[in-house]
Formats: sequence, C-alpha cells, structure tokens
Amino acid sequence: MAVKKHRDVSVIYDIKTWRDITPMNTSAGTMLHNKTGNWRTIKPVFENKTPACQDACPAGNDIEGWIRLLQKGEYEKAYWHLKREEPFPSVLGRVCFRFCEEACNRNPLDECVGIGALERFIGDYGASCGPHPDLPEYNGKSLAVVGSGPAGMSAAYFGRLLGFRVVIFEALPVMGGILRVGIPGYRLPREVVAAEFEKLAAMGIELQPGTAVGEDISFKEIGNRYDYIFLATGAHGSKKLGIDGEDESRRIMSGLELLRNVALGEDVTCGKRVAVIGGGNTAIDVARTVLRMGSDVTLIYRRSEEEMPANPEEVMEAREEGIQFRFLAAPEKVELHDDGSIRKLICCEMELGPIDESGRRRPVRKDGALFDVETDSILTAIGEVPVLDYLNGIAAAGNTSVAVDDTLTAGIGKNGNIFAGGDITDIPRTVVNAVASGKRAAIAIDCEYKGIDFGDVVKENSVGNGSALSFSRYMHWEPAVPWNIHQVVDSEKIVYDYFIKAPRIEEKTEDAGERKASFNAYRETYTEDDAQQEASRCMHCGRCIECDNCLIFCPDSSVLLQDDDRFGYAFDYDYCKGCGVCFTECPRYVITMVSEEEGDK
Amino acid sequence: MRQLLKGNYAVAEGARLCRVNVVSAYPITPQTTIVERLSEMCASGDLDAKFIKVESEHSAMATLVGASSAGVRVFTATSSNGLLLMHEVLHWVAGARLPVVMANVNRAVSGGWNIWADQTDAISQRDTGWVQIYCESSQEVLDSVIMAYRLAEKISMPVMLTYDAFFLSHTTETVDVPDIERVDAFLPPYRPEFKIDIDNPRMFGGLIPPEYFYEHRYAVHRASLETLDWYPEICRGFRDMFGREYGITEEYRTDDAEVVVVTAGTITSVVRITIDRMREAGIKVGLVKLRLFRPVPVERWRTVLGAIGKVVVIDRNLSPGLAGVFASEIQATLYPLENRPAIYPVVAGLGGRDVTPEDIEGIINHALSSDDPAGIPLFWGLKQ
Repeated sequence: MAVKKHRDVSVIYDIKTWRDITPMNTSAGTMLHNKTGNWRTIKPVFENKTPACQDACPAGNDIEGWIRLLQKGEYEKAYWHLKREEPFPSVLGRVCFRFCEEACNRNPLDECVGIGALERFIGDYGASCGPHPDLPEYNGKSLAVVGSGPAGMSAAYFGRLLGFRVVIFEALPVMGGILRVGIPGYRLPREVVAAEFEKLAAMGIELQPGTAVGEDISFKEIGNRYDYIFLATGAHGSKKLGIDGEDESRRIMSGLELLRNVALGEDVTCGKRVAVIGGGNTAIDVARTVLRMGSDVTLIYRRSEEEMPANPEEVMEAREEGIQFRFLAAPEKVELHDDGSIRKLICCEMELGPIDESGRRRPVRKDGALFDVETDSILTAIGEVPVLDYLNGIAAAGNTSVAVDDTLTAGIGKNGNIFAGGDITDIPRTVVNAVASGKRAAIAIDCEYKGIDFGDVVKENSVGNGSALSFSRYMHWEPAVPWNIHQVVDSEKIVYDYFIKAPRIEEKTEDAGERKASFNAYRETYTEDDAQQEASRCMHCGRCIECDNCLIFCPDSSVLLQDDDRFGYAFDYDYCKGCGVCFTECPRYVITMVSEEEGDK
Repeated sequence: MRQLLKGNYAVAEGARLCRVNVVSAYPITPQTTIVERLSEMCASGDLDAKFIKVESEHSAMATLVGASSAGVRVFTATSSNGLLLMHEVLHWVAGARLPVVMANVNRAVSGGWNIWADQTDAISQRDTGWVQIYCESSQEVLDSVIMAYRLAEKISMPVMLTYDAFFLSHTTETVDVPDIERVDAFLPPYRPEFKIDIDNPRMFGGLIPPEYFYEHRYAVHRASLETLDWYPEICRGFRDMFGREYGITEEYRTDDAEVVVVTAGTITSVVRITIDRMREAGIKVGLVKLRLFRPVPVERWRTVLGAIGKVVVIDRNLSPGLAGVFASEIQATLYPLENRPAIYPVVAGLGGRDVTPEDIEGIINHALSSDDPAGIPLFWGLKQ
C-alpha cells in the first residue's frame, strides 16, 4: 500500500500550471507512506505505576485497585482484591494510623481521601462474602505461628494462601493478641476480631487458644512437629518507671496489664483519681479506658504535646472526653500509706533540652521544681517490651527483641526455619507494620521452601520505595495493565488541572459525652452513599481509567485503543513522533516517556 | 419572524441559522455581546456547536484553522486590536483556503485607547486574502452571514463581515429573522473536498518550495477573484429565497448625478438622507455604497463611477502618510479610464466622531465648489 500511494504523490508533484495546486494546500494522495515515527528520540510507554498511598502503606495495600471496584459497586470483588495485599480490612479500617492518607495526592488539592473509612466499609461488607476464592491445595509443608496478634494472623493468612498447613498457638484463652487484649473495644469491637478468626479458621487454619508455648507445649516440640515456625508474640511486657516506691503498692500497675484484664472481663478497680504515665498510644488507650470506668484521669508526659508519639487524632479525642494532660512532668517518687494505698505522687517539672537520638528534644529535669499529684492509682505506659522467656536457652539472654535479618529469619534454631515478626522484632509498633511483617515472613518462608533467592524476590516485588512486598506480584496475579511497581506517582506527577475540589466525607462519630459513657464503638461505618461519594474522590494516581485524554490530544492520531477490547491504550509507533503531549496531558502519570534506547531494552 | 435586534445579536442569529459547528472567540468591546449570545445558544442547545474558549484572538483563529481543516463550519467574531492579533493566522487561513466566516466590529486601533467606530482595523487586513464585505444595517449583517458561508464554501476562501462599532453593533433595529428551514434550503451542509481524515491522512500546509509557491499564491489570488463570478449569483439566489437584494455595490440616485458620494458602513445611511434632502433642493447628487472591498470589483467600480463627473470618497479610516484607503484604491482602479472622474478624497468620523447630515452636505458642497481636487485629501471636521 505504501508503495502505491507513494507513486500517487509523485504524480501530483508534477505541477505544470497553477491550476495543479490542490485546493486547501493539501497533498493530493495519502501520507500513510510517511512513517514519521522515525523522527522519534523518546517514546511514550503505557504502564500503571504505584500510587503514593500504596507506596506509603507498610503492607503495600493496593488501595486504588479496590477503590476502583468499590466505585463500580462491585463490593465483593473489592473485598477480595483488597485482601490480596492486606488481609484484615475490618480491623485495619478501624485502627490503622493511615500512612496512606498522609501520602494521598489529594492533600495538596483539598483533603486526603478517607481511605481508612472506605477500607472499613469494604471490610464490613466482607461479612457477607463467601469462602476465599484464592485458596490453593496444601503444599505438604507446615507452619506453626506463635502468637495470634496481627503479625501472626498475617503470616498465617498468607502462609495458607501459599499452600502451607498452618496452626496458630495463642497463650491467652482468646485469639487476637494486642487486637483483642490491647486495643480497647470502643476502637476495635471484640466481635470484629472474632469474625476475622472465623474467616481464618474457614481457610483451614488451625487455632489453638490457651496454649502457651514454653508451658503447655515446649518450643522444642513445636520445632519437631512443624517445618517452619513464625514467632509473633508481640511486646506484652511493660517498662518500669524506675522510681522509689514503685514495687511496693498494688495501686501502681502496668497500663497494658490493665487493658488486658479489662478485655478479659476481670474485676479491675482503680479508684476515683488515676494518673497515667506516658505519651504513646498505649497511654492514651489506658487513659480512655479508665475514664470509661468512671475515673478522673490525668495523663502525665515528660515532653510536650508536640513530641507525643501517640496518634494526634486520638489525643484530640481523649481531650474531648475530658482527660487532663500534664506535659513536661515526670514522676520522681511515690509516697504510700501504710495499707499500701497512695498518699501522693511526687513529680518534677521538665524542660526540653537538646535533640536526642530519637530526633526529639530531650526532657531535662528542672531542679527543685517538684509538685504533688493526688491520685488513687498510677498506671504506667512508658513502653512495651517483648517477653522472651519462652525462648530461654534459644534466644540470647538479655535481648529486648528478637534479631532478624532481611528475610525475617531469626538467628536462632539450627535449620534457619525460625522466622519472627511484629512487635517482638524491632519494627515500628503499629498494627499495619505487624501485618506487613507477617506477609513478608510468609513470602520468605515460601522462598525458603522453594529454594528461591529472597533478595531477587524483594527486587521484583517491592512496592515503590518502601519495604512492602506485593503478594499479587509474587503470586503472578497479573493486572490487566502492565504495572511498573517501582515507580511511585507522588503529587509532583499529578496534573491537578484535571481535578476539582470535593469535600471529604467523615464517618459519623458520637460526641465525647456519649462515647465516654460506654465501651461501645463510637464511629459508624460509611453508608453505601457516603462510601460511593468518598470513593469518587480517588484520583487513581498512576492508574489508567481510560479518560481518553491521550487519545484526544495526540496530534498524530497515534494513540490507539487496544485490540480485543483490552483495557487501556497502545501507541502507533509507525507515526508517533514522541512529542510527549500524551505524557503531558495524562492527569495521572500513566504515560511516561523513555528514550528509544531504553525502550528497546 | 420580525425581531428587534442589535447588530451584534443579528450576527449571532446569522451564525445560528447557518448551523455553525464550532465557535471559538475571545471577548473584546464592542464585539463581546456576539459571543455572549452564541455561548448562551450553545449552552441552551439552540445551537448545536462546540464553543471553544481560548486565551487570545490568535488562538481563536488558530482553533478555527484546526476545526475547519477537520471539515466543519466554523465562526468567530472580533474587533480592532483583537483582529490585529489574529493577523498572522488570517494569512494562514486564506493560504490554506479555509472557508472561515468572521464578523469584525469596526473599532479604532490603539495606541491611545478608543473603542468607537473606525474602519482602520479591517482595512489593515486587506492583504491577508480574506474576502471583505462592509455592512450598513442589522438586517444586512444577518443576511450577509448566510451569503458569506455560501460564498466561502463555494470558493474555499475566508470571508470577513465588518460593521461599525456602536452605530450598528449596539443599535437596535427591526430585523426579519428567517426560518432556519429556509436557510437550510439556501445553504447546504458543508462538504469539503479535502479534510483531515485519520484513515486517509494527507499533508496539510506543508512546505512549498520556490518552484511552486508563486503558483500557490496565484491560485489563492484566483480563488479570491472567483468572488466576482459567484457573489452576484448568490445574491440573486438570496433575493429569490428571502426577498432582499444585495450586491457588490449599491447605487442610490446616481443616474443623472453630477456628484456621487462613495461610502462604506453606517455613514451610508446618513449620506442617503442628505442626498434626498439635497435632491429636493435640485442638486444632482447620488450615492455608491461599497459592500465588497476584497477582491476589488474593478469592473463594477468602473461601471458605476466611471461616467460620473465628481466622485467624493469618504473614508472612516486612515493610512497615515496616505490618508483614506478606499479613495486611494478607487483612484487606482479608475486611473486607466480615459475620461476618469475628478476624485475628492475625504477623511471623516475617525474614532467614532459623529458624521451628521450637515457634515455630508458640507463635504458635497466642497466638491461642488472645487473643480480641481488634485487628489489632496480633505480632513473634514478636523480641529485645525
């Protein structure tokens, strides 16, 4: 065809008089023979990227993927899609600190998308969903998970999806670890945690509550019975204040222990006035719990509010509920009555000194600035530590956590088949980080079993810049559009001209007076309408939605629809000159330009 | 249906009746209400057209280059500095033989701001290749839009309609707005011989080397001249369909006239009244109204002016260093005639200065009392 048309053109170029000039100054013949693609030095590539939210999620949650399905009203599909990377949406949708929302590219436009609330909506929808669609046959190998907190749950879930026969040992009579006996019920209702375990059991995961490893079953025996072991016993010990009188009164208690006792329904009394020591999330949970038991609560923290490690939203809610805060103060001494009750707590005022190794200003004692706090109980929440007694003789004595390498293999045992994750290891103490470590361990165990180099797996499957691994990518559950997993689409890559402001929908929340009156959950899951409206705010960063901008703007008609109704676009490289207009006008950085040399590789 | 319409709204109605597909424009006083009305029509659905907002007149015309090349009927309107900003693209449109129709509201050109009537803006585009037609009334403006598309699409050349700021753009008159079905019958859908077609791509506006460019320009020149063959026929067709007759020029009481006044635009109406008044006093004076200025209708001008004793040309425009451009071009056109008339160039009414019947009478009396104009322009009404 090209040859024939070329002849047409050569004829027309034989202009003998002005009458041979074509009207409208066009070539008389087709220009199809002129393959202008050979002008190109850079070329557009059509590939999805990693959105900023997914990059920020320690678990690599494919948020955009399930929000897209949610938008279409395909809630069950959204649920199972979500669970490919993050197994417990009804839990994380309630308690996650939502690094995704901090990273959301909507922040520079108006406000981040309510990802947590949407995840909760989808997670709660999961109650009506059937059996897990991705369950494989067993691979003949077994995995013992010690500890049923979020890290253990996650390792069990992904381990089962990889074909391992899994059992979870839990020392307490109830499953869930910190989710069940740490996080108070008003934030995470018991039945939500219980429902997740029903789903794990339905996947064929064996649950062994009330089985303390080291007491009810020896560590050695587990090693004999199972091919792989995942340690996830968390950090259930409390640091001591280290002040005079601390060990002499039953009125001075570990906050974490109090939370556990309340959660297990044991009788707990604190008296009318309670002082909580600490500035982290546990301190806030403890303070709000005893507030709900009818006490007046003062939270004492040695630095200022700015340095508090607790989630700011929860600090705000605690304040609304009537918790008193005393910043820049630290306990010095407790004076007791003869019956062991507290006469007074003596604190010292602090001031902020130079920056310490945590990057915050170090609190420094103000000499002589002592003051008394009248209180009936003192609850400590100044840090949690793993309890490693059950590993006695295996883990090095005196360690405060279990050391692991990149594969999460603990440097213990003789076969390299013992892995560890969650708060027992040295990772950020959040539920999502624990879930992420469980997922990572499951993949590491699978690599160990299959003899695959885990380093290669990490290279292939790391989501964006973060530590998260994509389980879908590892499983070759390939998406419809090619996914450049390592390239993150942050706000600089978004063409904001194409997005309009829209207010964020907040979950309905009871006011402080109502919520502090009980341990009931005080936030409501979105209605379907709210979920739809909020989901519509997602900008689908780095993910093609077939908006057709590239198709419309291409000056060479070289952006084409895919053959066979496949999703997305293709390029006609015969004629694409590499001008980059499609790249510039793609609102969400799906189209990127690469050099011809790079593209040929 | 008879309606009370300002000149600007009459233009918008004309575009609507022609079912234009794309409108792209940038607002400028006194044109603004044209595109306001068109945007309202697009929004309400009265006009099924794409209204493309742009950031300048240059872009407005460039947008129409694309749309017209894609084979649809397009429209825009502008004025004064806006027209000048389009200048580069005006050449392109004519060179690419695109049948764009544009309304230009004649307004004085800055510097020294002035928003009032003055034809220097359109006059300064005379060499772009656009067909130029000057209008006197709202009815003529509306009718001329319809005829302009017939002509433009017939000869593949752009047409510019121009009319005076405020005197016409913002003055309300009774206008007969024809039924759109009758306009459809007069103006068939645009079916270009060449258009952008992604399945059969052609080269548009490519490089033309020296051995062909001359021929290309000559082809443009010949296309412009085709106006003289087709426009009278189009006008007759329009008369048959709608009952109103226009031409390349309009003559009024010229038969035995000793003096004929030549005008373009709204001054014509004032001259017509003045002539009636002077005729009653026995003075043999007539009027030739110019409608078509590009292409120059050489034969027509020679026919209607060649036998007159004295021709007064009133220019509401000024080419500094030359004076009125209409006068200059009429002089050039009539020069080869053996018994050419005495030509009296007059400049008047710049920047919206009112030209009254008394002014016209004074101008005519000047011609009557002088036998040797010597081509020296009269700056009528200038504060000396």
